[in-house]
Amino acid sequence: MGYQQNDFDFLDSSRKTDKEQIREALTYWADTWRRLKKNKMAIAGLIGVILISLFALFGPSFTDYEFAEQHTDFANTPLRVEVYEISTDLYVYLTPAYRMIVVEPDGTFLYRLDQSGFDFANKQFHFDYEGEDVMVDYSYKLLDELADENIDYSITFRGVEYKVPYKVTSNKSYPLGSDNVGRDVLTRIMYGARISLEVALFAALFSLVIGVTYGAIAGMAGSWLDNLMMRIVDIIDSIPLLLYVILIMVIIDNKGLGTIILTLGLFYWVGMARLVRGQVLSLKEQEYVLAARMLGVSQPVIIWRHLIPNAMGPILVALTMMIPTAVFTESFLSFIGLGISAPLASLGTLCNDALDAIQTYPFQLLAPALMIALMMLAFNFLGDGLRSALDPRLRKG
Amino acid sequence: MLTILLIATVTFFMMHAIPGGPFSRERPLPDEIIAALNEKYHLNDPILKQYFDYMVGLATFNLGPSFRRTGFEVEELILLGFPISAKIGLMAIIIIILVGIPVGIVSALRQNKPADYFVMFIATLGVTIPSFVVAALFIYIFAGVLQWVDAFGLERPSSYIGPVLALVGYSLAFVSRLTRSSMLEVMRQDYIRTARANGLSRFKVIYKHALKNALIPVVTYLGPMVAAILTGSFVVEKVFTIPGIGKYFVQSVNDRDYTMIIGSTVFFAVLYVIMVLLVDVAYSLIDPRIRLGKKSE
Repeated sequence: MGYQQNDFDFLDSSRKTDKEQIREALTYWADTWRRLKKNKMAIAGLIGVILISLFALFGPSFTDYEFAEQHTDFANTPLRVEVYEISTDLYVYLTPAYRMIVVEPDGTFLYRLDQSGFDFANKQFHFDYEGEDVMVDYSYKLLDELADENIDYSITFRGVEYKVPYKVTSNKSYPLGSDNVGRDVLTRIMYGARISLEVALFAALFSLVIGVTYGAIAGMAGSWLDNLMMRIVDIIDSIPLLLYVILIMVIIDNKGLGTIILTLGLFYWVGMARLVRGQVLSLKEQEYVLAARMLGVSQPVIIWRHLIPNAMGPILVALTMMIPTAVFTESFLSFIGLGISAPLASLGTLCNDALDAIQTYPFQLLAPALMIALMMLAFNFLGDGLRSALDPRLRKG
Repeated sequence: MLTILLIATVTFFMMHAIPGGPFSRERPLPDEIIAALNEKYHLNDPILKQYFDYMVGLATFNLGPSFRRTGFEVEELILLGFPISAKIGLMAIIIIILVGIPVGIVSALRQNKPADYFVMFIATLGVTIPSFVVAALFIYIFAGVLQWVDAFGLERPSSYIGPVLALVGYSLAFVSRLTRSSMLEVMRQDYIRTARANGLSRFKVIYKHALKNALIPVVTYLGPMVAAILTGSFVVEKVFTIPGIGKYFVQSVNDRDYTMIIGSTVFFAVLYVIMVLLVDVAYSLIDPRIRLGKKSE
């Protein structure tokens, strides 16, 4: 069956250009970005990374405290405080460690009352407010006949006993509570996150420099030098690295930022070196390298100008994945007491400090721990997304 | 063998490169005492002699006295702590294998269904959340708020749950992710389709044909997994106050107990190398194409 003449129509003039339609050319990075945008997890990760960085960088300027600023009077305060109105315009709060703090009605701490007496037999604390006695009876949880009242303590002032708080409000002085010497937990988490990020970023960059240089030289040189260099990498890879990071930290014994960056960088370049060598091996057979060599371009320039820019995708992925690894290793080291030490504090140090009091003040540990988890999640999502956006097997899609 | 020798050598010389000695404290000891101590621990011998002495000691599993815990030999401390750590570590490994691999298979077979998404979500969390966070959360929720288990020690069977859980976290998640992805890869292969087309049951295809090949990357990971559990034990034993070898190691690091540090590092390294060797053997059992003695890239 053939075609009839009226099976075909003439195009009207407005559609004359249809077949010449040209799609906008996408550069490698624009294409990657386009694919990355489609990946919801990756974008969530990217936003997470940006938010955490902003939090760590600019957060501290919005709090009222320095990260090492201590107010021992207000140590170990929780997130929520029960405010008792024991007289007109006199509001007090009793900390879990039975310290009495005079507060404003909204929960801002003013000053601490001195303890004037302690009656062990009757389970009472006495505090001194301008010569008058404030009595705290904490027998309610301890005596069976009072257990029905279901309160922890009562406050008696001028003969009146207060059992119900005036209100329970958030801690206005310390939004996330304070630690055992009265430092603001929120401020410390911000600084901790900043230190952790700094360490991770510089360690990753440092290992990037070593790894890329080493890998590129090995891949470019080929023959026996390549063989030798890669055997060295194999040997380094065959030992449990974390043990050696620990050893180095013990030996150097100077727990500054520089030491830990150096140590992490010195040990984690191996994977990067492998990756770069593999890339260089395949890329150096390409025609443009041959062309460059024909034009008399020297080897270092070929590596630097032609090979590395073309291997940038996988390198970037490896770098993004290196950061959470470094965050983890750093917090691990700090946690077992080998990382950053006072007065600086990373998130791992914060967790370590809070471990002793986990039963009583769990939030001091949970807050930095959650922060670490968030950081790791964000970077991992971003890295995963980047990897699938750059994966050559998926590039046809 | 070479690796072990190398590790011992590197560790030994690293430890001797430290400025000051094991006895430099904040309050300096009198010179005579330092001299006597040096004499006692043979620190005045030429370094090469010390090295050979140490190597001979190592070969006979005699790691020398602990500098800080006087009266204890390093190997005694290791033998004291290792069984406890090994018990927890073994439990962790068994759980990882018994849970991680089946979960990975199920997730691969139900790709892009709710069960798969759920497993992968949990696994991603498991890979990213550090073990001390898991341990801390566990203590807070189950020992603190709910009071179901003890917060520390190993007196009751239930006290094992927390440490094992914290230890398992990362590797379990990693193994199930690995199993899933390699299973997906294998299931796409032609020979699987051929097997199905020949009328073999789905069950038989999965367990006899697909699984064997899918497990190879998982077996490779077993070596690093042992290392992960080892280092995990430092943290977990610290958090749960378990008197295992990990806790001794962290303690010796904080005390600068050098013989103990060298001893346990070498011990860990040997353990690791042995595990890697075992993995190589396991390889050839699973996949006859890989033969021992040949390098497989």
